[in-house]
Amino acid sequence: MSLSLSAFERFAVIFQKGDIIFCEHEPGDSFYLIQSGRVHISRVMGEIEKTIDILQPGEIFGEMAILEEVPRSANAVALDQVKTLEFNRANFEILMRGNPQIAMKLLKLFSKRIYDQRRRFMILTLDDLQARVADVFLMLAETDPGQNQDSEKREFKTSIDDIAHWAGLPTDKCREVINHFVSQRRIEVLSDRIVMKNINEFVRFVAARRRAASS
Amino acid sequence: MAPKAMSYKANSVIYFKGDASEKIYILKTGRISLTSEDIETGQEVRDFIQTGEFFGVKSALGRYPREESALVLGDAEVVQFSVPEFEQFVAQNTRVIMKMLKVFSNQLRRIHVRVQNLLSQEEKSDPEAGLFSIGEYYLKKRMYPQAVHVFRRYLTYYPSGKFATEAAGNRTMAEQYAQKYGSGKGPVPGTPAAMAAPAAAPKPSAPELSETAKLYYNAVSVFSQNNFAEALKQFKKIADAGVDEEYTVKSLYELGRCYFHLGQHDQCIRHFTAMVQSYPKMPDLPDALFYVGQCYEAKGDEARARGFYSKILSMASEDNPIRRKAQKAVRTLEERKK
Repeated sequence: MSLSLSAFERFAVIFQKGDIIFCEHEPGDSFYLIQSGRVHISRVMGEIEKTIDILQPGEIFGEMAILEEVPRSANAVALDQVKTLEFNRANFEILMRGNPQIAMKLLKLFSKRIYDQRRRFMILTLDDLQARVADVFLMLAETDPGQNQDSEKREFKTSIDDIAHWAGLPTDKCREVINHFVSQRRIEVLSDRIVMKNINEFVRFVAARRRAASS
Repeated sequence: MAPKAMSYKANSVIYFKGDASEKIYILKTGRISLTSEDIETGQEVRDFIQTGEFFGVKSALGRYPREESALVLGDAEVVQFSVPEFEQFVAQNTRVIMKMLKVFSNQLRRIHVRVQNLLSQEEKSDPEAGLFSIGEYYLKKRMYPQAVHVFRRYLTYYPSGKFATEAAGNRTMAEQYAQKYGSGKGPVPGTPAAMAAPAAAPKPSAPELSETAKLYYNAVSVFSQNNFAEALKQFKKIADAGVDEEYTVKSLYELGRCYFHLGQHDQCIRHFTAMVQSYPKMPDLPDALFYVGQCYEAKGDEARARGFYSKILSMASEDNPIRRKAQKAVRTLEERKK
């Protein structure tokens, strides 16, 4: 990716391999564009650290800092020596103005985040916990267009921790609900993925609960 | 491929809610409405597209299904872009992107607030506890530089927070372990194995905080907010209960500090004197003696004060900060004499 960013050297920040760029839960007021090196994005869940993404040069992270007072939702750690440009609410416009490619990247990220948040909102408005968990699966299906749309079966490379996070439930509670679906043979939990047997059943189930709730 | 001009008759539909599509449109002429449902109430919301306005942008760029249906109200001319065509088009028109960025970031802010309001108190993460637990995670994984970094940040954000005392202790421990063993090596800090035999195999997990420990750290937090009267009550309760010797001793020590900060000098002297007799090996002994010295000084008994400061200088190790404090106190007393 060729970027004429020499004018932005004053925003450059270098991190050494292993450095924490930011960590989950700390307040965030800046976001970053990677110029060289890779960044490991992860979340700590109890005793394990789960990789969410490995970002390459040209990618943006920490963009939720555009919102005030939002704690970071993940750790960002330098995998190599990493050179970034660091921006905040006050100065990001300066960068974006001269760099349509970066502005476009940010626009795409915001589009995705707005969807994520809207979808999260809809999930959380469901009081019925089974419907809530079911709707998380539907959301995962919507954002993974690579799956065979002609089949009723959907597979998710996800874990119960992830589902619980999206559903706003404690992991134990979420596991309980998923076990219920398993006992009904609607879902199969495997070591590396979760299989939903028939997406249409879930669509109907969630739609019915949502209607019941709003009426 | 190039952007395509298209005509739609009145009452036709450009796309439906739920469709997957990567097309973006701009309205040239005609009337088009976007119909969606409010995510909270389920009520129908209708927006009208202005001439020259883009629509279908977010779902195309974010690669998710349409959230609204685009209905043609009166014969319309639109230009249809693929995502790459749209990118090329707006690349020459940064003003358009900036405007969209502003609109999108505002939308993101609004929806984020709505989500936060919906999360009930217990579902909301506690960022303070969260940050501390990440430090603990790194410490357990023996990633000392990372642990030091996180505890430092914790102390920057929450200098008198719930876990401030623990965080400071853990930071020091991580610094020492990093020097002594190097990253990824050595015993897991904080486990019995680490205390007893440094070469022993690491234990997989540290035990959770006991109830007594929680009470203790809560009282420490109250103390750090300068609410000494309340802290005194809480430490007294822990010490009186005597459930866990470690925290009994810690609480007794803190009790003395509360008396001192409340200006109850006689009480403070009596308390620490009794404590030193009961627990001659208490870890904070020099500090306790320093408080006693300070109390005598406040009461105008300089000779006794000096006696306690000398005692500290004879027992505290070189690197104990209390030593410098005692030295300074002795100097001040001598200057006052002159």
